Amino acid sequence: MKKVIVALLSAGFVAVTLTPDASAIPAFSRKYKTSCSTCHYAAPMLNGFGKAFKNNGYRYPAGQDPEMRKEDPVSLGSESYKRVWPDAIWPSDIPGTTPLSVWGVGRINYSALGDVKWGFEIPHEFELLYGGTIGEDFSFFGEVEIENEDNETEIAFPFALQYDWTPGLHIRAGAVHADPSPTHLRLTRNHYNIASFRSRNGWRFRDDHYGLELWGAGNGAKGRGGFTYRFGIVNGQGLTDINPQKDFYGKVTYKVEGLGEIGGTEGGESQTSQFYIDNSLTIGGFFYKGTASKVGVADEDFTVLGGDVDFWRDRFIANGALMYMSSEIPSTPDRKSLAYYLQGNYVFYPWLIGIVRYEWEDKDTEKDAVKPVNAIIPGVTVMARANVKLVFEFKKFLDEENKKNDTFGVQINFGL
Amino acid sequence: MKSVLSRSLLLFLLGANVIIGGDITGKVKAVGAKNSANAVIYIESIEDKKFDPPKDPATIDQKNLMFIPHVLPIVAGTTVKFLNSDDVLHNVFTPDKCAEKFNLGTWPKGQTRSFTFKNLGCVAVMLCNVHPDMEAYVVVLQNPYFAVSAKDGSYEIKGVPAGKYTLKIWHEKLKGQAVSVEVPATGTVTANFEIRR
Repeated sequence: MKKVIVALLSAGFVAVTLTPDASAIPAFSRKYKTSCSTCHYAAPMLNGFGKAFKNNGYRYPAGQDPEMRKEDPVSLGSESYKRVWPDAIWPSDIPGTTPLSVWGVGRINYSALGDVKWGFEIPHEFELLYGGTIGEDFSFFGEVEIENEDNETEIAFPFALQYDWTPGLHIRAGAVHADPSPTHLRLTRNHYNIASFRSRNGWRFRDDHYGLELWGAGNGAKGRGGFTYRFGIVNGQGLTDINPQKDFYGKVTYKVEGLGEIGGTEGGESQTSQFYIDNSLTIGGFFYKGTASKVGVADEDFTVLGGDVDFWRDRFIANGALMYMSSEIPSTPDRKSLAYYLQGNYVFYPWLIGIVRYEWEDKDTEKDAVKPVNAIIPGVTVMARANVKLVFEFKKFLDEENKKNDTFGVQINFGL
Repeated sequence: MKSVLSRSLLLFLLGANVIIGGDITGKVKAVGAKNSANAVIYIESIEDKKFDPPKDPATIDQKNLMFIPHVLPIVAGTTVKFLNSDDVLHNVFTPDKCAEKFNLGTWPKGQTRSFTFKNLGCVAVMLCNVHPDMEAYVVVLQNPYFAVSAKDGSYEIKGVPAGKYTLKIWHEKLKGQAVSVEVPATGTVTANFEIRR
């Protein structure tokens, strides 16, 4: 074992450059006076209830929100003003306390081949998160993110305002869910490969996408499992669109068994329960059609099609996703790409989770000149507290060309 | 009305040969706690008497992500019914051996699961493995002469048979000294407590 570790370390670890967008919101813990693990498997990864909470527009299921919140909102107009409309502004309310949270990320990196072997990148990132509800049918979620990128400071400030007609129909404006992978809510330090996979002109799912989205969710038969859907139109690249075309995307999922997608307790009787258990099988399909632009190169029209599967059974989760991309740039041969990942994680203890992911990508399936990249990512997540997380993670490349790019890192996160 | 019911219940429990006695009242001062609520004041033991548990189960409700009540003293052998009043799934389990480390699983809103606490002296913590912030205690006692202090520390144990007793206090975090009391055949005796870490 020792030899294996030494060999992996010797292979050379370099710092991974990631952009983790956390979605843990301690402001909700304060609002409902409940633990992070009410909604999170291991923050920011959501458990079944966390997904139901999100699918209800950041509200408790079944209209229970007013009873469940432990702080009273500030009224922006009494209920009776609904009768006066349109001669008055429709009444609403705002959170009773400032809905702010902090998410800190630090990293310890090791690079066997670098001049500086050990690096303490603490902090790597600081996020000021905010989220909550405005009255009965609006909600919001956003962040101001400050991140170190090779000693340069990057700032991003995505947010979304949402109209929550019913759990089955929300209209979202701002940062939307064009990424079909749960990369912003992942358990690992490394992003999913399908999220990081770039088109020839540099587009990728992982970057924030700004636009409009219709989405919703509903429970399945007997209140178990259910469906989700989302369809949207986005700029594609950046806050100010860099080409005149708009991009379109969509994703649908169906969950068999497990907690209802919009919550509730019907049919939820079981002899086993834990916040991380949601025995279910979810399958999904997605598409993205867009145009990517790059200075000095003709525009690229590309289409992404794919599917994913997510299987939860007691302490074990297995999931995976497959993505196919076809790309057209005038005067160049078309390119077809394929990428997928398979992942398993197991809860040894509620605070100790083992994970292993295998990922594979072939940038050009029709040309042997470009060799497929494949890697394995074993790791361990330690929840020192419900809001303090340590991630120990390798990324071991299995293809010859990338062996020198093996990485190792420790990531520390905390939320307040 | 509540007082009448309590007395009727006591009469029923103790049988016709029992003389209803005096009351014990007092105040608990909790040093190092947010308030003086949720201390259990109880008569440690009444010799030569066997106290049957009530026929009807006691109830702990799970409502708005809280166990209600937070502290439940019961007579040994009492069945406690756990009700889920929330539209979220809850669980009840205990890591305490004296309550057989039970785990009742999870169940929908409006339904209940039960457990009978047989072991005298058991103080079992009730937890929900879906909501780690939820916590309650069941305190298993020999007799029904107990009370739970209010936020201001006040408590009252009614209808105690006349006699000399050791009055004890239990709190989830704080400790206090037992006191001796002599309960009159009628009237009230006062016993105050100070509890601290």
